[in-house]
Amino acid sequence: MKNEVVRNQFDEEVLQHLDGLFGYALHLCRNREDASDLVQETYAKALKSASQYSLGTNARAWLFAIMRNTHLNEIRSRSRKPVGLAGEWIEELTRKDVAELRKFGPDPEATFMDRLLRHDIEEALSKLPETFREAVVLCDVQGFSYSEIASTLGVPIGTVRSRIHRGRMILRHLLTDWQKHSGGMETNDL
Amino acid sequence: MTCEDAHLHMHDYISGELSPEICDDMFDHFEACEYCRNHFHEARRMAAGIGNLMQSTAPPELHSAVSRILAGG
Repeated sequence: MKNEVVRNQFDEEVLQHLDGLFGYALHLCRNREDASDLVQETYAKALKSASQYSLGTNARAWLFAIMRNTHLNEIRSRSRKPVGLAGEWIEELTRKDVAELRKFGPDPEATFMDRLLRHDIEEALSKLPETFREAVVLCDVQGFSYSEIASTLGVPIGTVRSRIHRGRMILRHLLTDWQKHSGGMETNDL
Repeated sequence: MTCEDAHLHMHDYISGELSPEICDDMFDHFEACEYCRNHFHEARRMAAGIGNLMQSTAPPELHSAVSRILAGG
């Protein structure tokens, strides 16, 4: 009876993160079929490792770490580098970081940030180097704390902070660049 | 607080990670610096847009598949 209660509690704690895990898997895999497979593999591994999880603790961070490790192992087994573009301007931006702030300053009249579509953000995220993308996704999409992200990615909190900061800067530049060149907005919107 | 400091802190604020003491200093800076204030509003809108638009819902068939996995354990 006790085992059944524990087991039900475990299922309840892990199942409530299914949507979040599916969203994270979409970011990692970039297609729904692979994402669905990754979610199932994650739950299968979680079940096998259930004894390592203490009920009532942070199931979300635990599951996301399992998913990330599973995905990285899959990539390694295929001898494939993680997807992610790193153009010269991105390298330049990340090196100079805050010093670049004034070069890409805000446009106080621009309201396009309020009218972004999912597709716009997906496009911009797909161009963000993996290192920054996963930190921004975990923070801004999944609502993780810096501490949870550090635990999931296995890096210090300071690194998480830096990646989120820089990742957002790059994203902003990508979205602004897209807005200026796509013709997606009327001139009088600016 | 310098503009560079304000820029670093604004991202911690957007992430919900900034301490209240620094928060006050940062908003004092925004009161005085239109440039950083605009940058902050823009960064906050972008992060909110990402958070709102990128939410995903697992399809019903995935719910079923995961339930079967857990039931088989």
